[in-house]
Amino acid sequence: MLKNLTHVHRPSTIEEACALLAAQDRKNVALAGGTFLAESADLTIQGLVDLSRLELGYIRDTGTGYAIGAMTPVQDVFKSPVLQGPSGKLLKAATGRIGSTLLRHAITVGGNLVCVFPWSDLPPALLALDAEVQIRKGIPKRTVPVQTLLERNPRDFLDRAELVTEIIVPAFGPGTGTSFTKFAKTANDYGLATVAVRLTLRQGLIREARLAISGATKRPVRRPAAEAWLEGLAPTPALFAEAGVRAAQDLDLTQDFRASKEYRSEILPVLVRRGLEEALRQVTA
Amino acid sequence: MKLTLTINGKLRSIEIAPNVMLLDVLRAAGYKGVKKGCGEGSCGACAVLIDGRPRNSCLTFAAQCEGSEVLTVEGLGTPENPHPLQDAFVRHGATQCGYCNPGSLIAAKSLLDHTPAPTWEDVKEALDGNLCRCTGYVKRIEAVLDAASLGKK
Repeated sequence: MLKNLTHVHRPSTIEEACALLAAQDRKNVALAGGTFLAESADLTIQGLVDLSRLELGYIRDTGTGYAIGAMTPVQDVFKSPVLQGPSGKLLKAATGRIGSTLLRHAITVGGNLVCVFPWSDLPPALLALDAEVQIRKGIPKRTVPVQTLLERNPRDFLDRAELVTEIIVPAFGPGTGTSFTKFAKTANDYGLATVAVRLTLRQGLIREARLAISGATKRPVRRPAAEAWLEGLAPTPALFAEAGVRAAQDLDLTQDFRASKEYRSEILPVLVRRGLEEALRQVTA
Repeated sequence: MKLTLTINGKLRSIEIAPNVMLLDVLRAAGYKGVKKGCGEGSCGACAVLIDGRPRNSCLTFAAQCEGSEVLTVEGLGTPENPHPLQDAFVRHGATQCGYCNPGSLIAAKSLLDHTPAPTWEDVKEALDGNLCRCTGYVKRIEAVLDAASLGKK
């Protein structure tokens, strides 16, 4: 419970919301779906800035990809008729594995990214798709790769008065396949290792590979060394098995009651291999 | 602070603390059909419709519902005049201890509002956030499908 909460603000513009977040006399924080803050016991939080009236719930086809408003519930991404192709498939696969229907209606795309947990399902998908976020600070805005946002705690990366307002996801043409492989103890438990993959092939060779994992490390991460190693090579079962081993190397794996470090290091190469095999099957003509 | 919202079609104005959850406000206002199970979004016993979306009221700040329309199980039907879903739950014995029923019914109502002719898989997915500790999972799916087949919402 937020014991020291005294105010709830309901701004109707982004400028107004950012001004409230910048306030020096009181600590205000952004409220998206609320599932993270409802469980918080942060005694420093005095005010909530409810973002639900900023009209940030939308999914648009931009011609080169998709623009998703930060306040869009992940259920809407899961069921979106707008999202298509390899990017749409991966976004739907990832959001469909978040919690339950009840939670998916509350959790927002922006909240899920900014309040990232080690096991969050959407961030690895966004990493695999080279997605970017638009960040507003009143009128000024900047666009930052999701990868940069996730290099540390996004709430530390963002300036106090900044808001993530939109997620920008590129679309990929022919020759691209994606996959999402989550390993959890039950259908809606947190993943204890999750792998998002994108493969783009040209003339039978891997032109671009993306491997992103969550659930096994402190924060979702890409595996750039394994990606680079795959590029330029022909996809074979042996190659994918080796990529799995490489993707699991040099990782600071987490250990908790769900699984030990050793367990995670055993299953991760398998999940990466399966993810690559599935992405290859999904490659579009 | 003052919270103004519509609960089961009635406009209500309630004095609340900024940090309270919708679940506690609803129960204090007499809507005891809304159950507190886990209190952390895992069990779905507290599910209500907020502006048409099924959500865990235990993880929703009451202050998020200013101007919203909330539907609890009390707004679905009465013992004298039950909702077709409630009828179907009774016919199929889709209730054992009954604690999960209010939340399950709300999740099922949301499904039928958007998908009048659901498949078995649709129902399973729509109820994936509603734990039944008596494990009456099959009967409630049959009940929802039966209610849907009667063409009623």
